[in-house]
Amino acid sequence: MTTITIQVNGKQLATEPDKTILEVCRANDIEILTMCHLKGVMDVGACRLCLVEIEGINKLLSACTTKVAANMVIRTDTERIKKYQRITTELFFAERNHVCSVCVANGKCELQQLGYKVGMDHIRYPFLYPKCELDSSHAWYVIDHNRCIMCTRCVRVCNEVEGAHNWDVMNRGTQVRVISDFNSPWGESVTCTSCGKCVHACPTGAIWPKAIVQGQLEKKPGIINELVEKRKMKL
Amino acid sequence: MNAGFTTLSTELPKTDPRVKLLNARIKKEHYRPDALIEILHTAQNAYGYLPLPVLAHIARSLNLPPSRVYSTVTFYHFFSLKSKGEHTCLVCTGTACYVKGAQKILDEIERQFNLQPGQVSADNQLGVAVARCIGACGLAPAVVIDDEVQGKTEPAAVIEKIHSKTGKP
Repeated sequence: MTTITIQVNGKQLATEPDKTILEVCRANDIEILTMCHLKGVMDVGACRLCLVEIEGINKLLSACTTKVAANMVIRTDTERIKKYQRITTELFFAERNHVCSVCVANGKCELQQLGYKVGMDHIRYPFLYPKCELDSSHAWYVIDHNRCIMCTRCVRVCNEVEGAHNWDVMNRGTQVRVISDFNSPWGESVTCTSCGKCVHACPTGAIWPKAIVQGQLEKKPGIINELVEKRKMKL
Repeated sequence: MNAGFTTLSTELPKTDPRVKLLNARIKKEHYRPDALIEILHTAQNAYGYLPLPVLAHIARSLNLPPSRVYSTVTFYHFFSLKSKGEHTCLVCTGTACYVKGAQKILDEIERQFNLQPGQVSADNQLGVAVARCIGACGLAPAVVIDDEVQGKTEPAAVIEKIHSKTGKP
Protein backbone atom coordinates (compact mmCIF):
# COMPACT_ATOMS: atom_id res chain seq x y z
CA MET A 1 0.00 0.00 0.00
CA THR A 2 1.41 3.37 -0.95
CA THR A 3 1.62 6.07 1.66
CA ILE A 4 0.99 9.74 1.00
CA THR A 5 1.37 12.76 3.23
CA ILE A 6 -1.20 15.45 3.69
CA GLN A 7 -1.26 18.49 5.94
CA VAL A 8 -4.26 19.16 8.17
CA ASN A 9 -4.33 22.35 10.24
CA GLY A 10 -0.54 22.60 9.89
CA LYS A 11 0.03 19.03 11.05
CA GLN A 12 1.69 16.50 8.72
CA LEU A 13 -0.23 13.24 8.48
CA ALA A 14 0.76 10.02 6.74
CA THR A 15 -2.15 8.19 5.18
CA GLU A 16 -3.26 5.95 2.33
CA PRO A 17 -4.89 7.19 -0.86
CA ASP A 18 -8.59 6.47 -1.55
CA LYS A 19 -9.52 7.39 1.97
CA THR A 20 -11.78 10.37 2.51
CA ILE A 21 -10.62 13.50 4.30
CA LEU A 22 -13.17 12.73 7.01
CA GLU A 23 -11.79 9.24 7.62
CA VAL A 24 -8.22 10.53 7.89
CA CYS A 25 -9.18 13.36 10.24
CA ARG A 26 -11.29 11.12 12.48
CA ALA A 27 -8.42 8.60 12.68
CA ASN A 28 -6.10 11.40 13.81
CA ASP A 29 -8.45 12.93 16.40
CA ILE A 30 -9.18 16.03 14.34
CA GLU A 31 -12.80 16.95 14.91
CA ILE A 32 -15.05 17.47 11.90
CA LEU A 33 -18.74 18.10 12.52
CA THR A 34 -21.13 15.89 10.59
CA MET A 35 -24.84 15.13 10.49
CA CYS A 36 -25.51 12.99 7.42
CA HIS A 37 -22.39 10.83 7.79
CA LEU A 38 -23.05 7.42 9.30
CA LYS A 39 -20.31 4.86 9.47
CA GLY A 40 -21.37 1.75 7.58
CA VAL A 41 -23.41 3.43 4.84
CA MET A 42 -22.52 5.47 1.76
CA ASP A 43 -21.68 9.16 2.15
CA VAL A 44 -23.78 11.65 0.20
CA GLY A 45 -22.47 15.03 1.39
CA ALA A 46 -25.97 16.27 2.12
CA CYS A 47 -25.63 18.18 5.39
CA ARG A 48 -22.71 20.45 4.34
CA LEU A 49 -21.37 20.55 7.90
CA CYS A 50 -18.08 18.81 7.13
CA LEU A 51 -16.93 21.48 4.67
CA VAL A 52 -13.15 22.00 4.70
CA GLU A 53 -10.76 24.42 3.05
CA ILE A 54 -8.28 22.94 0.63
CA GLU A 55 -5.39 25.04 -0.61
CA GLY A 56 -5.67 25.81 -4.31
CA ILE A 57 -9.44 25.25 -4.45
CA ASN A 58 -11.64 28.30 -3.97
CA LYS A 59 -14.83 26.58 -2.91
CA LEU A 60 -15.26 24.58 0.26
CA LEU A 61 -15.47 20.82 -0.21
CA SER A 62 -17.26 18.26 1.93
CA ALA A 63 -14.76 16.11 3.84
CA CYS A 64 -16.97 13.02 3.72
CA THR A 65 -17.05 12.78 -0.07
CA THR A 66 -13.60 14.17 -0.98
CA LYS A 67 -10.72 11.71 -1.26
CA VAL A 68 -7.29 12.68 0.01
CA ALA A 69 -4.54 13.36 -2.51
CA ALA A 70 -0.78 13.61 -2.06
CA ASN A 71 0.43 16.90 -0.53
CA MET A 72 -3.09 18.20 0.03
CA VAL A 73 -3.13 21.14 2.44
CA ILE A 74 -6.38 21.11 4.40
CA ARG A 75 -7.74 23.46 7.07
CA THR A 76 -10.72 22.51 9.22
CA ASP A 77 -10.63 25.27 11.84
CA THR A 78 -10.73 28.61 10.04
CA GLU A 79 -13.19 31.40 10.81
CA ARG A 80 -14.77 30.92 7.39
CA ILE A 81 -15.59 27.28 8.14
CA LYS A 82 -16.89 28.09 11.62
CA LYS A 83 -19.15 30.73 10.08
CA TYR A 84 -20.62 28.25 7.62
CA GLN A 85 -21.07 25.59 10.31
CA ARG A 86 -23.03 28.08 12.37
CA ILE A 87 -25.20 29.09 9.39
CA THR A 88 -25.91 25.45 8.49
CA THR A 89 -26.86 24.62 12.07
CA GLU A 90 -29.21 27.58 12.30
CA LEU A 91 -30.85 26.61 9.03
CA PHE A 92 -31.45 23.08 10.38
CA PHE A 93 -33.39 24.56 13.27
CA ALA A 94 -35.27 27.13 11.18
CA GLU A 95 -36.34 24.60 8.55
CA ARG A 96 -38.67 22.44 10.65
CA ASN A 97 -40.35 22.54 14.05
CA HIS A 98 -37.63 21.48 16.48
CA VAL A 99 -38.91 21.85 20.04
CA CYS A 100 -36.32 20.20 22.29
CA SER A 101 -38.32 20.49 25.50
CA VAL A 102 -41.05 18.14 24.28
CA CYS A 103 -38.84 15.82 22.21
CA VAL A 104 -38.16 12.17 23.03
CA ALA A 105 -34.51 12.68 22.07
CA ASN A 106 -33.98 15.67 24.39
CA GLY A 107 -30.45 15.43 25.83
CA LYS A 108 -29.48 12.62 23.47
CA CYS A 109 -30.02 14.35 20.15
CA GLU A 110 -27.19 14.85 17.67
CA LEU A 111 -28.77 18.06 16.38
CA GLN A 112 -29.03 19.47 19.89
CA GLN A 113 -25.40 18.57 20.59
CA LEU A 114 -24.41 20.24 17.33
CA GLY A 115 -26.15 23.43 18.45
CA TYR A 116 -24.08 23.41 21.66
CA LYS A 117 -20.86 22.63 19.78
CA VAL A 118 -21.09 25.52 17.33
CA GLY A 119 -22.20 27.83 20.15
CA MET A 120 -25.58 28.66 18.68
CA ASP A 121 -27.28 31.19 20.99
CA HIS A 122 -29.92 32.48 18.60
CA ILE A 123 -31.22 31.84 15.09
CA ARG A 124 -30.91 34.72 12.67
CA TYR A 125 -33.29 33.27 10.08
CA PRO A 126 -37.09 33.38 10.22
CA PHE A 127 -38.60 30.00 11.12
CA LEU A 128 -40.51 28.34 8.31
CA TYR A 129 -43.00 26.57 10.63
CA PRO A 130 -43.96 24.03 7.95
CA LYS A 131 -47.03 21.91 8.54
CA CYS A 132 -45.55 18.47 9.07
CA GLU A 133 -47.25 15.20 9.84
CA LEU A 134 -46.60 12.63 12.52
CA ASP A 135 -47.11 9.03 11.44
CA SER A 136 -47.73 6.57 14.25
CA SER A 137 -49.40 3.92 12.12
CA HIS A 138 -46.53 1.45 12.57
CA ALA A 139 -47.02 -1.00 15.43
CA TRP A 140 -43.68 -0.24 17.13
CA TYR A 141 -42.24 2.99 15.73
CA VAL A 142 -43.23 6.59 15.07
CA ILE A 143 -41.92 9.03 12.46
CA ASP A 144 -42.34 12.74 13.20
CA HIS A 145 -41.46 14.86 10.17
CA ASN A 146 -41.30 17.98 12.36
CA ARG A 147 -37.98 16.74 13.74
CA CYS A 148 -36.51 15.40 10.51
CA ILE A 149 -33.43 17.16 9.12
CA MET A 150 -33.36 15.27 5.78
CA CYS A 151 -29.96 13.69 6.44
CA THR A 152 -31.33 10.57 4.66
CA ARG A 153 -29.48 8.25 7.04
CA CYS A 154 -32.66 6.18 7.46
CA VAL A 155 -33.08 5.99 3.67
CA ARG A 156 -29.53 4.73 3.17
CA VAL A 157 -29.60 2.27 6.06
CA CYS A 158 -32.89 0.81 4.86
CA ASN A 159 -31.57 0.45 1.32
CA GLU A 160 -27.96 -0.60 1.88
CA VAL A 161 -27.96 -2.52 5.15
CA GLU A 162 -31.48 -3.91 5.45
CA GLY A 163 -32.08 -4.04 1.68
CA ALA A 164 -35.76 -3.24 2.12
CA HIS A 165 -35.82 0.29 0.64
CA ASN A 166 -38.96 1.23 2.50
CA TRP A 167 -37.83 4.86 2.77
CA ASP A 168 -37.13 7.38 0.06
CA VAL A 169 -37.39 11.13 -0.42
CA MET A 170 -40.23 12.84 -2.26
CA ASN A 171 -40.61 16.32 -3.78
CA ARG A 172 -38.02 19.08 -3.81
CA GLY A 173 -36.89 22.12 -1.86
CA THR A 174 -38.86 22.94 1.28
CA GLN A 175 -41.46 20.32 0.29
CA VAL A 176 -39.08 17.35 0.68
CA ARG A 177 -40.27 14.58 2.96
CA VAL A 178 -39.06 11.12 3.82
CA ILE A 179 -41.72 8.72 2.55
CA SER A 180 -42.65 5.10 3.03
CA ASP A 181 -43.70 3.25 -0.14
CA PHE A 182 -46.18 5.41 -2.14
CA ASN A 183 -46.24 8.13 0.51
CA SER A 184 -48.56 5.78 2.38
CA PRO A 185 -48.71 5.30 6.16
CA TRP A 186 -45.67 3.47 7.55
CA GLY A 187 -47.90 0.85 9.14
CA GLU A 188 -49.26 -0.11 5.71
CA SER A 189 -45.84 -0.52 4.15
CA VAL A 190 -45.27 -3.74 2.23
CA THR A 191 -41.50 -3.29 2.10
CA CYS A 192 -40.77 -2.43 5.76
CA THR A 193 -39.39 -5.37 7.72
CA SER A 194 -39.75 -3.55 11.07
CA CYS A 195 -36.03 -4.15 11.70
CA GLY A 196 -35.59 -0.83 13.52
CA LYS A 197 -32.28 0.15 11.88
CA CYS A 198 -33.70 3.52 10.79
CA VAL A 199 -34.61 4.21 14.43
CA HIS A 200 -30.97 3.90 15.45
CA ALA A 201 -29.66 5.67 12.36
CA CYS A 202 -31.83 8.76 12.89
CA PRO A 203 -29.75 11.51 14.55
CA THR A 204 -32.72 13.36 16.01
CA GLY A 205 -36.05 12.42 17.55
CA ALA A 206 -37.71 12.05 14.15
CA ILE A 207 -37.93 8.25 14.32
CA TRP A 208 -38.38 6.62 17.69
CA PRO A 209 -39.80 3.47 19.26
CA LYS A 210 -43.25 3.83 20.80
CA ALA A 211 -42.40 2.44 24.26
CA ILE A 212 -40.32 5.52 25.15
CA VAL A 213 -41.08 8.50 27.33
CA GLN A 214 -39.80 12.01 26.75
CA GLY A 215 -36.02 12.36 27.08
CA GLN A 216 -35.49 8.64 27.64
CA LEU A 217 -34.53 7.74 24.09
CA GLU A 218 -31.25 5.84 23.73
CA LYS A 219 -30.08 5.61 20.14
CA LYS A 220 -27.12 3.50 19.07
CA PRO A 221 -26.02 4.66 15.61
CA GLY A 222 -22.82 2.63 16.11
CA ILE A 223 -24.67 -0.66 15.73
CA ILE A 224 -25.09 0.00 12.01
CA ASN A 225 -21.35 -0.12 11.37
CA GLU A 226 -20.94 -3.00 13.81
CA LEU A 227 -23.44 -4.96 11.76
CA VAL A 228 -21.75 -4.06 8.46
CA GLU A 229 -18.33 -5.10 9.81
CA LYS A 230 -19.62 -8.35 11.27
CA ARG A 231 -21.19 -9.30 7.95
CA LYS A 232 -17.78 -8.95 6.29
CA MET A 233 -16.21 -11.43 8.73
CA LYS A 234 -15.51 -14.91 7.51
CA LEU A 235 -16.45 -17.57 9.99
CA MET B 1 -54.50 -7.31 4.16
CA ASN B 2 -53.81 -3.59 4.47
CA ALA B 3 -54.42 -0.69 2.10
CA GLY B 4 -50.79 -0.47 0.92
CA PHE B 5 -50.80 -4.11 -0.03
CA THR B 6 -54.06 -3.71 -1.97
CA THR B 7 -52.57 -0.88 -4.06
CA LEU B 8 -49.50 -2.94 -4.81
CA SER B 9 -51.21 -6.21 -5.62
CA THR B 10 -54.06 -5.05 -7.89
CA GLU B 11 -53.43 -6.02 -11.50
CA LEU B 12 -54.16 -3.54 -14.27
CA PRO B 13 -56.87 -4.57 -16.80
CA LYS B 14 -54.97 -6.38 -19.57
CA THR B 15 -57.43 -5.37 -22.29
CA ASP B 16 -56.89 -1.64 -21.68
CA PRO B 17 -54.97 -0.27 -24.72
CA ARG B 18 -52.99 2.02 -22.43
CA VAL B 19 -51.83 -0.97 -20.39
CA LYS B 20 -50.83 -2.75 -23.61
CA LEU B 21 -48.82 0.30 -24.68
CA LEU B 22 -47.15 0.51 -21.28
CA ASN B 23 -46.33 -3.19 -21.16
CA ALA B 24 -44.88 -3.05 -24.68
CA ARG B 25 -42.57 -0.26 -23.61
CA ILE B 26 -41.52 -2.10 -20.44
CA LYS B 27 -40.74 -5.17 -22.54
CA LYS B 28 -38.81 -3.08 -25.08
CA GLU B 29 -36.64 -1.75 -22.24
CA HIS B 30 -36.03 -5.37 -21.11
CA TYR B 31 -37.54 -4.69 -17.65
CA ARG B 32 -34.40 -2.69 -16.77
CA PRO B 33 -34.83 -0.71 -13.53
CA ASP B 34 -32.76 2.17 -14.95
CA ALA B 35 -35.30 2.69 -17.75
CA LEU B 36 -37.75 3.97 -15.12
CA ILE B 37 -37.94 7.54 -16.43
CA GLU B 38 -38.54 6.47 -20.05
CA ILE B 39 -41.32 4.13 -18.93
CA LEU B 40 -42.88 6.81 -16.74
CA HIS B 41 -42.89 9.09 -19.80
CA THR B 42 -44.84 6.47 -21.77
CA ALA B 43 -47.31 6.01 -18.92
CA GLN B 44 -47.79 9.76 -18.48
CA ASN B 45 -48.43 10.19 -22.21
CA ALA B 46 -50.91 7.31 -22.26
CA TYR B 47 -52.88 8.28 -19.16
CA GLY B 48 -52.29 12.04 -19.02
CA TYR B 49 -51.12 11.57 -15.45
CA LEU B 50 -49.75 8.78 -13.27
CA PRO B 51 -52.39 6.93 -11.22
CA LEU B 52 -51.11 4.94 -8.22
CA PRO B 53 -52.07 1.48 -9.58
CA VAL B 54 -49.98 2.27 -12.69
CA LEU B 55 -47.00 3.26 -10.52
CA ALA B 56 -47.43 0.04 -8.56
CA HIS B 57 -47.51 -1.94 -11.81
CA ILE B 58 -44.30 -0.23 -13.02
CA ALA B 59 -42.55 -0.80 -9.68
CA ARG B 60 -43.50 -4.46 -9.75
CA SER B 61 -42.48 -4.95 -13.39
CA LEU B 62 -39.08 -3.27 -12.99
CA ASN B 63 -38.47 -4.84 -9.59
CA LEU B 64 -38.04 -1.39 -8.01
CA PRO B 65 -39.04 -0.34 -4.49
CA PRO B 66 -42.33 1.64 -4.54
CA SER B 67 -40.72 4.55 -2.68
CA ARG B 68 -38.04 4.88 -5.38
CA VAL B 69 -40.71 5.16 -8.11
CA TYR B 70 -42.71 7.66 -6.07
CA SER B 71 -39.63 9.78 -5.33
CA THR B 72 -38.74 9.93 -9.05
CA VAL B 73 -42.29 10.94 -9.99
CA THR B 74 -42.44 13.72 -7.40
CA PHE B 75 -38.95 15.02 -8.24
CA TYR B 76 -39.69 15.87 -11.88
CA HIS B 77 -42.29 18.53 -12.62
CA PHE B 78 -43.19 16.81 -15.90
CA PHE B 79 -44.82 13.93 -14.06
CA SER B 80 -48.15 14.47 -12.40
CA LEU B 81 -49.97 12.32 -9.85
CA LYS B 82 -53.24 14.12 -10.42
CA SER B 83 -55.26 14.30 -13.61
CA LYS B 84 -54.60 17.47 -15.57
CA GLY B 85 -58.05 17.23 -17.20
CA GLU B 86 -59.29 15.71 -20.49
CA HIS B 87 -58.49 18.97 -22.23
CA THR B 88 -55.76 21.35 -21.18
CA CYS B 89 -55.41 25.07 -21.60
CA LEU B 90 -51.90 26.36 -21.05
CA VAL B 91 -51.57 30.15 -20.91
CA CYS B 92 -48.10 31.56 -21.46
CA THR B 93 -47.26 34.27 -18.92
CA GLY B 94 -43.78 35.08 -20.21
CA THR B 95 -42.80 38.73 -20.48
CA ALA B 96 -44.01 39.25 -24.07
CA CYS B 97 -47.33 37.42 -23.51
CA TYR B 98 -47.86 39.21 -20.22
CA VAL B 99 -47.41 42.61 -21.84
CA LYS B 100 -49.79 41.57 -24.64
CA GLY B 101 -52.53 40.66 -22.14
CA ALA B 102 -52.08 37.08 -20.85
CA GLN B 103 -53.65 38.16 -17.55
CA LYS B 104 -56.83 39.27 -19.35
CA ILE B 105 -57.10 35.78 -20.86
CA LEU B 106 -56.64 34.19 -17.43
CA ASP B 107 -59.23 36.53 -15.91
CA GLU B 108 -61.72 35.63 -18.62
CA ILE B 109 -61.10 31.91 -18.11
CA GLU B 110 -61.67 32.34 -14.38
CA ARG B 111 -64.87 34.30 -15.03
CA GLN B 112 -66.22 31.75 -17.54
CA PHE B 113 -65.11 28.45 -16.00
CA ASN B 114 -64.30 29.44 -12.40
CA LEU B 115 -60.85 27.89 -12.76
CA GLN B 116 -57.52 29.28 -11.61
CA PRO B 117 -54.15 28.15 -12.96
CA GLY B 118 -53.35 24.65 -11.67
CA GLN B 119 -57.00 23.72 -11.21
CA VAL B 120 -59.09 21.12 -13.00
CA SER B 121 -62.86 21.42 -13.51
CA ALA B 122 -65.12 19.23 -11.38
CA ASP B 123 -66.08 17.06 -14.39
CA ASN B 124 -62.37 16.62 -15.27
CA GLN B 125 -63.04 18.12 -18.73
CA LEU B 126 -60.77 21.14 -18.52
CA GLY B 127 -57.48 21.86 -16.79
CA VAL B 128 -55.91 25.31 -16.70
CA ALA B 129 -52.18 25.88 -16.32
CA VAL B 130 -49.64 28.65 -16.85
CA ALA B 131 -46.13 28.46 -18.29
CA ARG B 132 -43.27 30.89 -17.74
CA CYS B 133 -42.48 31.01 -21.46
CA ILE B 134 -43.29 28.59 -24.25
CA GLY B 135 -40.76 30.13 -26.62
CA ALA B 136 -43.35 31.64 -28.95
CA CYS B 137 -42.82 35.27 -27.97
CA GLY B 138 -43.40 36.38 -31.60
CA LEU B 139 -46.95 35.05 -31.29
CA ALA B 140 -47.73 36.84 -28.02
CA PRO B 141 -50.11 36.38 -26.34
CA ALA B 142 -49.90 32.61 -26.85
CA VAL B 143 -52.17 29.91 -25.43
CA VAL B 144 -51.74 26.17 -25.94
CA ILE B 145 -55.02 24.27 -26.09
CA ASP B 146 -54.56 20.48 -26.30
CA ASP B 147 -51.04 20.79 -27.79
CA GLU B 148 -52.29 23.29 -30.38
CA VAL B 149 -50.68 26.72 -30.17
CA GLN B 150 -53.05 29.68 -30.48
CA GLY B 151 -50.93 32.71 -31.38
CA LYS B 152 -51.82 36.41 -31.19
CA THR B 153 -55.05 35.40 -29.56
CA GLU B 154 -57.56 37.22 -27.36
CA PRO B 155 -59.85 36.24 -24.45
CA ALA B 156 -63.02 35.66 -26.52
CA ALA B 157 -61.24 33.47 -29.09
CA VAL B 158 -59.68 31.34 -26.32
CA ILE B 159 -63.04 30.77 -24.64
CA GLU B 160 -64.59 29.82 -27.99
CA LYS B 161 -61.79 27.35 -28.72
CA ILE B 162 -62.16 25.75 -25.27
CA HIS B 163 -65.91 25.40 -25.82
CA SER B 164 -65.32 23.72 -29.19
CA LYS B 165 -62.92 21.25 -27.51
CA THR B 166 -65.09 20.41 -24.51
CA GLY B 167 -68.23 20.36 -26.67
CA LYS B 168 -70.13 22.73 -24.41
CA PRO B 169 -71.71 26.12 -25.28
